[in-house]
Amino acid sequence: MIKVLKSGVLLTIQDFGRVGYRHLGVSKAGSLDPFAQIIANKLLNNNDNDAVLEITVGLCELEFTCDTVIALHGADLQATLDGQAIYPGWTYAVKNKQVLSFGTGRAGLRAYLAVKGGIQNTEVMGSKSTDLNARFGGIEGRALTTGDEIPITPYYGEFIKVGAIAPAQRKLIRLYPSPHANLLGKPLLDTFAATAYKVSTNSNRMGVRLEHNKNSLVHSHSLPSLGVSPGSIQLPPNGDPIVLLNDGQTTGGYPLLGTVIEADLHQFAQFRPLDTVEFKYVTFEEAAQAKQKLDGHLHQLSLALKNNL
Amino acid sequence: MKPTPHIYALTNSSLLFDASHLDAKDKLSIQKKIWALTNHCKSTDEFTDLVPAMNSLTLYLKSDKDLNKWLQALPLLWDDIKSSTFKGQHHLIETTYNGEDINYVANYHNLSTDEVINIHSKAKYHVLFLGFQPGFAYLHGLDEQLHTPRRDEPRVRVPKGSVAIGAAQTGIYPADTPGGWHIIGHTNTSLFDSTSAQPCLIQPGDTLEFVPLVNKGATHD
Repeated sequence: MIKVLKSGVLLTIQDFGRVGYRHLGVSKAGSLDPFAQIIANKLLNNNDNDAVLEITVGLCELEFTCDTVIALHGADLQATLDGQAIYPGWTYAVKNKQVLSFGTGRAGLRAYLAVKGGIQNTEVMGSKSTDLNARFGGIEGRALTTGDEIPITPYYGEFIKVGAIAPAQRKLIRLYPSPHANLLGKPLLDTFAATAYKVSTNSNRMGVRLEHNKNSLVHSHSLPSLGVSPGSIQLPPNGDPIVLLNDGQTTGGYPLLGTVIEADLHQFAQFRPLDTVEFKYVTFEEAAQAKQKLDGHLHQLSLALKNNL
Repeated sequence: MKPTPHIYALTNSSLLFDASHLDAKDKLSIQKKIWALTNHCKSTDEFTDLVPAMNSLTLYLKSDKDLNKWLQALPLLWDDIKSSTFKGQHHLIETTYNGEDINYVANYHNLSTDEVINIHSKAKYHVLFLGFQPGFAYLHGLDEQLHTPRRDEPRVRVPKGSVAIGAAQTGIYPADTPGGWHIIGHTNTSLFDSTSAQPCLIQPGDTLEFVPLVNKGATHD
């Protein structure tokens, strides 16, 4: 078990999230940085979809009540194990009664903690992920809080220290084209792509809101509701775009500026308020190539680990 | 020439089928074709999610390889599909019409509360699609006599099971949530239960009607 001594800003249980329920209004939920989840799980020879802890900003404290092995990935939030610094991208053996503490970081926003065998909470609708809005999954559908006990399976087996680097962070986010190009018009879309945005403090797991000081993105279009998903970029009439993330709704009535390509969506897990974001439209081929490159990175990691674990 | 639906590739594995510009007068017939199209696509088992919305369908593919095939197939399927092929389930929603805004709605329209109850409960509603939150159904069929502008100030908490009216829509809140609609009643029917094998009572394309329950708590002196 892992006991939560201090929950910090936002501590949740996540895996890849829910698939197959969007027509019922059920969001995906799940790790905002699935590649950090995958790499942390691979380092432990877990399944890629094993549930992990998503630690936002940091400042939390966890006590282990059994032996296990852990892997950290994602943002470096200055973690220590019984006072000894530990680093993202590496595995560490943990003994009963040891305390893992997170400070906070200068770059990135979310760290992922995987444990050998994965977190063992009950699956709801095919996933262990926490749906914070609809309040189910994880533990009682809520963020973890002081005193919570997170179920894990003790592990006393052998431990080989391994590490892996993360795919590079980028500020230039690549996009699929807008399905509403005719409605919004080329001048607006050109302005959108030529603008640098600041991440609003009013961003969360539902979406990242983007601010800028131009009023040329303001509009008065309203659309019949259409299906939206993580990566959809909505343009509300006030002209401040919203990049929908995993806890976002399933339908919406704002025009879409485009969709973040699969290979870049995880970057939004790590943008902090006031960070700068820019966009670039790419072709479907470029999007497919970027995804292949990232899949290749993970495949290489799997091969390398196979020879080491 | 008759207008045709717009079909867009959103990503390498998702498509938007948009029929919302086809016929402003007969949204329900178009929506019936959307449900029938959804059903057909579902039967192929090539999609992770199929999300009908207002006269549109967003399709999420299991494999990128099938994108072009569906880009080409959807217009042909749309021409072939008949709106009558889809049959949803019918639900009876037992409702106690004692909501805190029912007098407001009655006064707004110069009706008695009994008239509001009669008008609201005699209609048959179609579930156009679900969204906003798990189990929240966008219903078609609210009588124009009951169209009521939303509250100036949304409530911080609308209780689970509230039956409400907002502008031209009526709906049921599946869970406690903030909301700006006028609450006219309450149902104990559970619309969403994440722990159930069938988590959602109502599916897109279903129909429902509200069955008034006599408020046993009321006393008549």
